[in-house]
Formats: sequence, structure tokens, C-alpha cells
Amino acid sequence: MSGHFFWSGMPVAFLPGETIAAALLRAGIADLGRPDGHLPGGRVFCGIGACQGCVVAVEDAAPVESCLTPAQEGLRLGPLPATGAGHD
Amino acid sequence: MTEAPILIVGGGPAGASAAATLAEAGLPVLLVEQRDQLGGAIHRQPANGAGNHVWRPARHRRNWAALTARLRACAGMIEIRTQTVFLGVDGEGRFLFDDRRAGRVFASRPRAAIVAVGAVETIRPFPGWELPGVMTAGGAQVLLKETGRPPEGPILIAGSGPLLPALAAQLARAGNPPVAVLERGRPWRRPATLARLALAGGPMGEAAAYAAALALARVPYRGGAVVTRAEPDGAGLTVGMRIGADERVLRVRHLLIHDGIEPNRVGIPLPAPEAAVPVLLAGDGREALGADAALLDGRRAALQLLARLGAGAAELAGLESRLERARRVQAALAQALRSEPVEPAPETLICRCEGRSYADLQALDGDASAREIRLMGRFGLGACQGRFCGPMIAALRGRPVPAASPPRWPLRPVSVAALARLSTDETE
Repeated sequence: MSGHFFWSGMPVAFLPGETIAAALLRAGIADLGRPDGHLPGGRVFCGIGACQGCVVAVEDAAPVESCLTPAQEGLRLGPLPATGAGHD
Repeated sequence: MTEAPILIVGGGPAGASAAATLAEAGLPVLLVEQRDQLGGAIHRQPANGAGNHVWRPARHRRNWAALTARLRACAGMIEIRTQTVFLGVDGEGRFLFDDRRAGRVFASRPRAAIVAVGAVETIRPFPGWELPGVMTAGGAQVLLKETGRPPEGPILIAGSGPLLPALAAQLARAGNPPVAVLERGRPWRRPATLARLALAGGPMGEAAAYAAALALARVPYRGGAVVTRAEPDGAGLTVGMRIGADERVLRVRHLLIHDGIEPNRVGIPLPAPEAAVPVLLAGDGREALGADAALLDGRRAALQLLARLGAGAAELAGLESRLERARRVQAALAQALRSEPVEPAPETLICRCEGRSYADLQALDGDASAREIRLMGRFGLGACQGRFCGPMIAALRGRPVPAASPPRWPLRPVSVAALARLSTDETE
């Protein structure tokens, strides 16, 4: 049985046990958003939680590495907000 | 109060091997793993729904089956906590973890700790490596193992090392062979080192199986070939490359890069085998020697700990000689694939988290300290804590960048809410 979560409001299907990253990539979503014009946007890169490139915002919860985190029914996810990014 | 457990951080081959060895000796073990299943990157299991297994050497499957059987046999001695991320050691010597399932941080004061958090891949940067669609070869391999499905559309694999042909063969067997494999080194020009590799007991049978799979799928494997840049192009990438003296351009959907592995040491406690609470490192996180050696190294760390705690360690000498053999294989491999460093273009991003380029790095003094590189250059200050730019800067400057000492926690972002719900094993 598969389920759905939401990426920027858009439903994304996932298979049981699949990570958020695997489901996003299967849906053709490789660009995980651009917090501002200064820094490169999110993307799945290392697959083991080390690079933090695939961290996504979770509604009503803490951000998570999408490559480590099992997808769950109804999660509302989106690009990481720009808070704290950019120092110039 | 019950006996404090031995803490093991990381449920890959080294951590699992250490856990089984200690539990078999009668010591309680707390095994902490960031993913929802044990296995590490090498033994990543298919997600529950995916039935199809990725083609891989039978030896790895057998090794992991044997190890998980040992863990099951002494399950009563091992508490396994999955989806739990290691945050580091606080000023009071407590090991801190983020239990992602419970949404709370917990602190542990173990009797001793073995940290086996594996390796991170190294990258030689080029303009565009930071783009979506560019992934590490190891990251792509983990995804392939989990899903059983290759990525859709044309794939290019580039960099250096034995992972390149291995992943290419796995992708080919899974139904989407890469358009090419670009190896920076020129192994065919070093027949003497290839011979030494075979004599050192290198996995030549495995290499031959990958070569056969690549030949069957007509995947070109090019030596002396590097990616020079990548640019966004619709849903894909335009990739510039240099193969020998030829410059070429290719349109692909996925670019998978990898230039070797290094122990994952950022924020990891320093080894202190003689301390009151001994801390040992094990596996690729101590010395990057690969999966077979990680099994041995986890056992070695466990036996060292048992010796320190007053039990025997008769087997240690045998393990050392087998690890030395793995070291010779890795050295011969590195020699066979060795290539001259290439200076990146000035606009090349070095620190992706903070958006810092090679030009920004060059603007710093040539003898800038690690502190200056961080605080003035802003390299390594971002979310990845320098796990990727650190090795790049070290390679470009020709010497390692000393880490912040002592390591500071948290080594991963953690929510204030989870910290506020801190629980500790001291309050009984």
C-alpha cells in the first residue's frame, strides 16, 4: 500500500518504507528549492545525512534530512526557509 | 541500577560487528543508528515495499546475513535504537542523541563507546557540482539499493575509484546503464601497480564481473577523463568534459560524482582508549579500508575494549595482519588510479553551504590557519560543518585543515523543542 505526502502543496506518492528523498526523486523533483538568490538550493547529494543538502522543512515539526527520513502519510514538506542563510 | 552499557554509534558493518562481539562476551550494548534499519551504506536494505534486490557480490550478502544472525542470537544483550542521530559529546562527557521518532534528545553516560560512523565521499569540485541533478555515486548507490530502481534518463558517472565501475554495472543490471564512466586516473598505463593490486589480494574477480557487465551493456569506461563543468539545461544538465586531449559536451539527466572516501570525523569525539570512559573509533570512520575491513575493525575495537575492561584479546594479532592486507590493497588501488590535481576555475564553489568559491579561498592568505579559513573565509561554517569543503580545501592547499578541537556538539542541526524534551539515563 502506498501513500502521499505534500511537497509545496503538491501530492507526491511514496512506497512503504521509502525515504522522502527517494519519493521526491522518483517524482522528478531534484531541485529542493532556492532559499534566496545567493546560495545554491537544496538537493539530494550524499544520501547519508552528511552534506545536509537535502534538509527540508516540515510543517509543525523540525526540518529533516530527506535522505534519512522515512516518508509518512500526509506530511507537509517544502524548501527550507531562508532564515539564517546569507551573511553578507 | 543496572550495569551501564557499551555505546556503539553507527549500525553499519563495523558497529554491528563490534556490537555482536561485545554482546557475545556478555556485555550489555546500546547500538544507535540514524536510519530505520541497520546495515550502513554498504548493506543498505530494500525499503519494505521494494522486493527487487540490486546485484552485488555474494560475499557482502553472506557477511551481512551472518552478522545479523549473530545479533539476533544475543538480542537480549543489545538495545538497538534506530532513527536516532548522534549529536556529539557535551561538556560534561554525555553522549547526546536526537531520537527522531520520539522528537526528543536523550543523553547517555556509557561505560565505554565505539564510534563507527563510516566514511564520507570526497569530491574534486568543478563549476556546477553544486547543482540539483548532481549527486555522489555513493548516494546514488544507496538510493538504488533502497528502491531497486535506477534513476530515469541519461546518467554520467565521473571521478575516480573502484566505486565508479561497480555502480555503473549495478545501474546497467538494474536496467539503465550510464552513458559513460569517466575515470580521472589512467589505470591501464600502470600495469605494474595493477599487478601489485592483484598480488596484494585485490578483489580482481569482482572487478572482472563489473567489467563484463559494462562490456555487455556497451558502457564506455574512459581513463584520463574529467568533468570540467556542468550547467542547468531544462530538466537536465549539460556537462563539459575532457577525455585525454579532447573536449566534449554531453546532455544528461544525472551526473554522479565520486573521488574516493575519507573517515567521517567532523565533530566526532577524539579516540581515547585509555580514558575512564574509553572511546574507540572503528571501521571506515577510523580508517577508510572498505566494508570487508570494517567487519574486522569493528571486532578489533570490541576486543581492544574487552582487553581494557579485563577480558582477553587473543585474536588481535590475526585481525591486525588482515587489516594490514586491506591497507596494502587500498594503497595499490590509490597508486593505480593516482592523478595530478587540477586547479578549479575561480568561480568554482568550494563551500556549498555558505556559497564560497575558489576565488574566495584564494583571497585568504596562503598560510591562513583553520580558524581564519572558517571565521574570515566562512568555509566550513555551514550546515555540513565542512564535511565536504574540508577535504577539498586540504587537497587544494596540499595539507590537511586542522579540525575544531575539541569537537563541538551538535554535529547535526537539532530542534530546540527536541532539546527541551531532553531525557537522560542518569535520572532513575
